[in-house]
Amino acid sequence: MINLFSFIPEILILSLILISLLIGLFYKSSKNILTGINSIGFLFIAYLFISFGDSFEGTESLLKDFNVIILSKIIIALFTSIYLLLINKSLVNESIYRYEFLLFILFATLGSFVLISSDNFLTAFIGIELQSLSLYLMAAFNTKNSQSNEAGIKYFSLGALSSGFLLFGISMVYFDNASIQFSEIKNVTYFTEIGLTLIVIALFFKVSAAPFHIWTPDVYEGSPTISVLFFATLPKFASLIFLFRFFIEMDISSYSSLLFIFKFVCVLSLLIGAYGAMTQTVIKRLLAFSSINHIGFILLSILSFQFLSQGIFFFYLIIYLVTSFGVFSILLTLRSNLGEIKLISDLSGLKTHNKSKAIALLVLFFSLAGIPPFAGFFAKFFILTASMNEGLIYLSLIAVLSSVIAAFYYLRIIKTMFFNEGEDTLQENSMFYHNITYILSASFVTFFAFYPDPIIFIINNYFS
Amino acid sequence: MDFNFPIITLLILTPIIGALTLSLTNSNHIKDKTILIAGLWITIGEFFLSLLLPLFYDVEKNGYQFIEFHSWFEQLDINYYVGVDGIAIPLILLTTFLIPICLLCSWKSIKKRVKEYVIYFLLLESLVIGVFVSIDLLVFYVFFEAVLIPMFLIIGIWGGENRVYASFKFFLYTLAGSVLMLLAIIYIVLASQTANIDIIKNINFDENIEIILFLCFFASFAVKVPMFPFHTWLPDAHVQAPTSGSVILAGVLLKLGAYGFLRLSIPFFDFASIYFQPLIFTLSCIAIIYTSIVALRQEDMKKMIAYSSVAHMGFVTIGLFTLTNDGINGAYFQMISHGLVSAALFLIVGVIYDRQHTRLIKDYSGLSIVMPKYSFFFMIFMLASVGLPGTSGFIGEFLVIISTISINIYLTIFTAIGVVLGAAYMLLLFKNVNFGELKEKLSEIKDLEFIEIIYFSLLGFFVILLGVYPKILFNLIDKSVGLIII
Repeated sequence: MINLFSFIPEILILSLILISLLIGLFYKSSKNILTGINSIGFLFIAYLFISFGDSFEGTESLLKDFNVIILSKIIIALFTSIYLLLINKSLVNESIYRYEFLLFILFATLGSFVLISSDNFLTAFIGIELQSLSLYLMAAFNTKNSQSNEAGIKYFSLGALSSGFLLFGISMVYFDNASIQFSEIKNVTYFTEIGLTLIVIALFFKVSAAPFHIWTPDVYEGSPTISVLFFATLPKFASLIFLFRFFIEMDISSYSSLLFIFKFVCVLSLLIGAYGAMTQTVIKRLLAFSSINHIGFILLSILSFQFLSQGIFFFYLIIYLVTSFGVFSILLTLRSNLGEIKLISDLSGLKTHNKSKAIALLVLFFSLAGIPPFAGFFAKFFILTASMNEGLIYLSLIAVLSSVIAAFYYLRIIKTMFFNEGEDTLQENSMFYHNITYILSASFVTFFAFYPDPIIFIINNYFS
Repeated sequence: MDFNFPIITLLILTPIIGALTLSLTNSNHIKDKTILIAGLWITIGEFFLSLLLPLFYDVEKNGYQFIEFHSWFEQLDINYYVGVDGIAIPLILLTTFLIPICLLCSWKSIKKRVKEYVIYFLLLESLVIGVFVSIDLLVFYVFFEAVLIPMFLIIGIWGGENRVYASFKFFLYTLAGSVLMLLAIIYIVLASQTANIDIIKNINFDENIEIILFLCFFASFAVKVPMFPFHTWLPDAHVQAPTSGSVILAGVLLKLGAYGFLRLSIPFFDFASIYFQPLIFTLSCIAIIYTSIVALRQEDMKKMIAYSSVAHMGFVTIGLFTLTNDGINGAYFQMISHGLVSAALFLIVGVIYDRQHTRLIKDYSGLSIVMPKYSFFFMIFMLASVGLPGTSGFIGEFLVIISTISINIYLTIFTAIGVVLGAAYMLLLFKNVNFGELKEKLSEIKDLEFIEIIYFSLLGFFVILLGVYPKILFNLIDKSVGLIII
């Protein structure tokens, strides 16, 4: 017997999708109404989780809710509602607005919700596919631009390959255990081990951990920036939460081979993320590699999950989400003569051009680089604390050294903005929601250290 | 004396609030001079505020005073825990004294983006003060690292031709050292379940672990001091930085490393400090002799003084690691003295650079004919740098050399040779610039202006005061230094 009550948020999203579809079909000039409705809808979903989160717990059926899931759904709902406010103007600026974009986001978010709370491999697969299919379409959304199409095709073909891995892994696990329920996977034979390895590899692909990262720079470069903001944040967040749950519930640390793969991927992500970005001149490619480096840190926190780690893991993710939103919303407001801002050198002289944006980017990049007193430093500090506590000293050493290398390319961007004199190629659009977003995120990152209590409180509250 | 006023937080926050206020002003309507004046008043106010510290500090008491405590991250017992003791106060005063001078010396030389410039100096001031007052490891690290940001921007925006290279080298070198210290700090915090420096001091680590931890801290502080093989960022940074940047870099930022050794490495790692004594003595001796010889051959004045900084800081590290009362007192004195003297020497170079836009020694000669006041101040600071008795430079070096005798006589010989070499290059520099025939290009050069005379006389006054009456400093630090050696 399925308890429909626990599906309410998902049903709400589904109804939002249907409503948006109808409105979009029949009222052509409806973009603000659409974003308004959906944004409020997601705020309402977040509110539902905050006030009634506990009552979604305890269902024995396909979905399973507990604190990690509730908190991550709250975060996803809140950030989606912010993201929805950003899309209209960004798409209109590129003159590629169509209301379908919004539907893709809704479908992807629905997929994320399903993925996060899935308790067996089949729902997880459905969640991942729902999410990924929307992402492929979003990558190729600028249909007039060949690079965007290329990005979509690349993303799709590699994504399909990884889905193949995932399905194959699931079938191997099923073959051995005669179950797809997470809790019933007990046999430790080669089949289960290989199956789990394949599943983990597919997940690594989704979160773009090295060496499964090859698609990331190309897709980031080709896709419209507004889609990249989405790729870089929410679906990745959902996949990471799932990976985290998978790691704990499957008790991955008891399989030595899988543990080795995790560590290997972690080190490789840290190093490739750091070295890959050194020579990049395209800003989105650089951000792609920077995200790979951050994935390395997140994997490190998953590996050292025992010590306060759920909290630390979330802490890092929240700060990463906030920072990415800030960075991308600034990039979205800037344009060069040729369209979207592309090269790092396009940013030159941003300081003389627009002070507040330059300072916000400075703060955000220093935070990404993990320089105190910005929030990114504390995120990294806690991850390193957890991993040192776990005895992963060499991994921690590699992590901090990679962040020194990473600091180099963040400094390059800052150098371009601050040290170079401006050329007049930079144009700006005044976009209300983008400005609000970056100001909020930059001030969060700056003032976090002065008053960390709220975040610490939230995390403690959900993980005590 | 009971003193419940949160003076330390006020010291940290005043420049930050000043910077925020300045950043909110609209620079189109306000003249650059007005902003400089506002910044100057803030920093002068800060200086007088910091004067409260020595006035109300009770030299008889042990331990920290003016303590403030707020919990920060409770799970790991990391707290905003600040206070000062005898070895923090003089460095805070040095900082608050030098920052207004930095703003004064840029009165004419900084023409672009003045508002930003003032803001970065204000931020730098509060971050540096934060380093000196923290009694919590993480608070210390946060301030220690954050200092990089404003300094990076100061070198990068207002520096010379090669400024990007210099600022990157400065930032990455220091960061690479510091992250190792971060790992060591995390290890210590996890092992001792607290980040309180006062408690960690009493915890004994296993000897092998202590050695590794010491090396991690060493990586960070040795880059900052800088010690011999890690010093290469310093000449670049100094040559490319604007005058005020060099002043604050030599005057205060180098002291952060030495302060770190004194505050953290030596009290935490009793065994490792003795174990690594020979290494540090060797590196410091090499630094003193080698960089002095390198300085002899420099053609660029700023580079010469930068190398002399490395040599003088070599005395500091030797003194600190003698682990004797005399040695540490001497090293500390040398820190303060070097902070004043090298700052003054960079200002001296800055004065003629502003007028002639060249720093090459061969472009100058006979300045004493047209710039008598300038030559007078140059002489004072040159002699202080050489270590003439009666100036502050003498006492520090003298105490350090004395304290080495009981440890190793060769050490004494090498440091003494270092003093002689120091005299050689400084006297050569002074001779070439001030004496000889006046070059034609220089005949129009103007002597010191009013503002310049003010700050040079202030610096000169303190250099001579400390040289004649060193007791004012020793009174303040004696007790705290005594606590470190035990």
